Amino acid sequence: MTTGLVTLKINGREVTVREGTLILDAAKEAGFDIPTFCYQANLSGLGSCRMCLVEIEGQRKLQPSCITPVMPDMNVFTETDTVKMTRSAMLEFLLSNHPLDCPVCDKGGECELQDLVYKHGPRKGRFAEDKVRHHDKDYILSPVIVKNANRCVQCMRCVRVCKEVVGRGVLGAVGRGVHQEETSFLRTRLDCDHCGMCIEVCPVGSFMRLPYRYRARPWDLVSARSVCGYCATGCRLTLERRGDTVVRAIANPEDGFNRKLLCARGRFGYDVMNSEERIKTPLVKERDGSFRPVSWDRALELMKEAILRAGPERAAGVASATLTNEELYLFQKFMRKVVGTANMDSTSRWSAESSLKFMEAAGIRGGGTSVYQCAESDVVVVLGGQLSEENPVTDYILRYINGARRNTLVIASPRGMKLDSSAQLSVRTVPATTGAFIAALLKALVEKKEVSMEGMEAVKGLTVEELSGVCGVNADDIRWIAARLLTAGSVGVLAGTDMLRYDDGAEELALLVRLLENTVRDVRVLPLLDRANQRGAWDMGVHPYLEPGYRPAQRRGHDVHGIVELADSGGLGFLYLLGEDVLGLYPDRAGVERALSRVGFLVVQDSFMTGSAPMANLVLPMAMYGEKHGTMTNQEGRVQRMEAVRRPEGEVRTPLETIGRAGNLIEKDFPVVRPGDVWKEIQKQVPGYGEVRGMEAFKGASADQVAELKPSFSYAVPERAEGEFWLLTGNHLFHGARLSQHSGILRELLGGCVVEIGSTAAQRLGVGEGDMVEVEARGYRERLPVRIREGTPDGVAFMPENFDGKDANRFFDKDRVVSTVRIRPYKKQGE
Amino acid sequence: MDEKTRREIEGKILPKYRTRRSACMASMQLVQRQKGYLTKEDMEEIARLLDMEPVEVEAVGKFYTMYNVERPVGRYHIQVCENLSCSLMGGEHILKHIERLLGIKTGQTTGDKRFTLSVVQCLGSCGTAPVIQVNDDYYENLTDKKVEEILERLK
Repeated sequence: MTTGLVTLKINGREVTVREGTLILDAAKEAGFDIPTFCYQANLSGLGSCRMCLVEIEGQRKLQPSCITPVMPDMNVFTETDTVKMTRSAMLEFLLSNHPLDCPVCDKGGECELQDLVYKHGPRKGRFAEDKVRHHDKDYILSPVIVKNANRCVQCMRCVRVCKEVVGRGVLGAVGRGVHQEETSFLRTRLDCDHCGMCIEVCPVGSFMRLPYRYRARPWDLVSARSVCGYCATGCRLTLERRGDTVVRAIANPEDGFNRKLLCARGRFGYDVMNSEERIKTPLVKERDGSFRPVSWDRALELMKEAILRAGPERAAGVASATLTNEELYLFQKFMRKVVGTANMDSTSRWSAESSLKFMEAAGIRGGGTSVYQCAESDVVVVLGGQLSEENPVTDYILRYINGARRNTLVIASPRGMKLDSSAQLSVRTVPATTGAFIAALLKALVEKKEVSMEGMEAVKGLTVEELSGVCGVNADDIRWIAARLLTAGSVGVLAGTDMLRYDDGAEELALLVRLLENTVRDVRVLPLLDRANQRGAWDMGVHPYLEPGYRPAQRRGHDVHGIVELADSGGLGFLYLLGEDVLGLYPDRAGVERALSRVGFLVVQDSFMTGSAPMANLVLPMAMYGEKHGTMTNQEGRVQRMEAVRRPEGEVRTPLETIGRAGNLIEKDFPVVRPGDVWKEIQKQVPGYGEVRGMEAFKGASADQVAELKPSFSYAVPERAEGEFWLLTGNHLFHGARLSQHSGILRELLGGCVVEIGSTAAQRLGVGEGDMVEVEARGYRERLPVRIREGTPDGVAFMPENFDGKDANRFFDKDRVVSTVRIRPYKKQGE
Repeated sequence: MDEKTRREIEGKILPKYRTRRSACMASMQLVQRQKGYLTKEDMEEIARLLDMEPVEVEAVGKFYTMYNVERPVGRYHIQVCENLSCSLMGGEHILKHIERLLGIKTGQTTGDKRFTLSVVQCLGSCGTAPVIQVNDDYYENLTDKKVEEILERLK
């Protein structure tokens, strides 16, 4: 990229900017705002709306500043009479066909056309002809998108954002001239990501949110800056309520690293807050198994009794990695200081050992790595997981940066993903063989370039071909990737949760990073995490082996596996599940069900009746995002503050208040606290957090090494009988963890649970999209509709982990590396 | 779209272009030749063959007036130029005359599905105005008599 500087004058003011900067951006830097419609940061330039025309000395015609780069000694004028007259004229043209139905338009009050006409526009129009009308009634494009083409100003932001950022391209500009309409294929319903990016970028009321339709005016809304709770991309969003009902989640382009970007979950999953299904009071289980509402005082008294009865050795807790840093910090402090145990975890899905390795390899304990920095590297490698579905906005960022910079993107994962279409090379690894794949890469690297480095001796004995046979990736492809890595000036590595789930590849990754640091030097590693505050949970020490700030625990406790085993053996008197549905997510449902039934006293605090909740002796209601203050640390290590948009309803309480009161009940000097107090303590106690200021900042590093990483370099293909499928699980594009299933809007996007297979497998089974199949393993059967995923090889199936009643974890055997299932077409009787 | 057309796109049209999507216009033209217009299914099939989104094919089809997107036309599609030169030379009169002879209005198709009458912009043959285009053929320097003969021949 160019690095030179250019000096020019804008309205007489001298300004120096990077070569290649657009006049529009240079003017902004000089303090002059130029109005635009079609311009949108991150999208390809179009220059069609002509709102941004400026005068340049020596050029006869006005020039569009949004696509004209600066030149040395340019003399630009943005506020001359000619420019002003032109702006007014452009607006007059737009208004000649705009319906002016502002009183019934959802955009009224926050419409860019309204604002610009108010500021620059003609006070009177001269067009007497009839306006072009595309249709009478607004039409529905998806469960979340409603369209009015008459109001369109043809800026094409929707079409470009859908293609260049979201990667779908399901919108087009149909027709020509004033008859052009930005819409779907023949105006049919969209089968897309339903992310609503087209709505977010629309300057007028042409694309609108269906669930928000006629619900409010912007000036009626009370808003608060929050952080999305659905994945660890951790998008900043603004929640807005009218009365007590949250009606909208928007991305504010001026606020947060994600600018305007949000996915379907973030933009439309807010309605879980309004759900009628929420737990509203503490509930205690009667002898007959039914639940009876009790007061908080009574509930906490019961909890105290159970803790004292159980004693420290027989107590444990699992807190969700979607809670705030303050809640997680206080949770571990409560468990360690009040209950007296280190039996705790922040997940139901992987072991403490595996998380230690991942933390070390993916630089979790270090300071932050910006997703942009990572995505802008010369070569970007995505390892494992399903980035496009688990972290949709990370996928958007990678796509548009790759589209603009044309850097090399390489993907190695077991399933096909949307981002494949942007990748220079996308390879499919056999599930749970990321380690073998990286080892092959290491070998290919040392084949090409002699590296003397500690830990590399064993690599010399390997062969690329042998490892290629394990991970299923062509040896030539591996060598191609290695060659790219060696010629890169910078490398970005994105490490997915497969490494955690399968305890696979972290050692090799650490070695690869070290090797690249020796050769390429500039290496950025970004962990891809699916729970919103997983990194925060580890930072805060919700871990059986680690105290806050990655200090090794003096006495190690049990991780989730140990806790379940302890419970199963009847050795657990008290278990506190805070926002975590162990029964719904632990990879062996029958086993965990038996274990939970043997717990002396089970407390479940959650927002909804989760799978685990009915088994509890005590159920406590829990406030969720939007109802509490606090901070979250996303996968980049970015600490973001969030505010409550409203108070929790009725008897619903925040975990902070619950833990504070419960702790205080047992130990008089355990304080009942507010988020601000805990934050101060975190800043003192957790290395890396002391310097964090304001609404958003990267955390610093903490120095201690948490794990010794030594790859064993012995690999095997996970077992699978002929015709069977390896079953993978994780989050679906429209669903995250066990929360999203309570969002009425998200439920409409995907009717329910599905099973995803590749097109070759579908052909082999003779089934098509939406056909019913029967998934069977371990004595369980489930009938599910098929979704076909291009790029997924035969023998790999995916079932989301997000649905009560269709629990994927029934099919998992915790002792097998990758569980397998049989899938056969399901025919109704008589067919 | 039949198998033969699909093979022709794959074998004859695609090799002429470096990227698949560049073959869009030529493929649409080929498909349209079969029944005179493009259906939803045709556009979906073209999109699939050329790695495009169906809406992109539709957008191309609706940008250019020579594609009849979801607009069935008769066996003979008569396109009357009504741009400046043709109008000055009597093009509007020719249009009215054809309407009278066929008993249909502009944009309509005769009951026997033989003729569809459309108005188009400049056909690029101003020197021989007034001009009409019937399917792929131009008829130039038209008079009432010539028009009658042409239609008689096509009936």
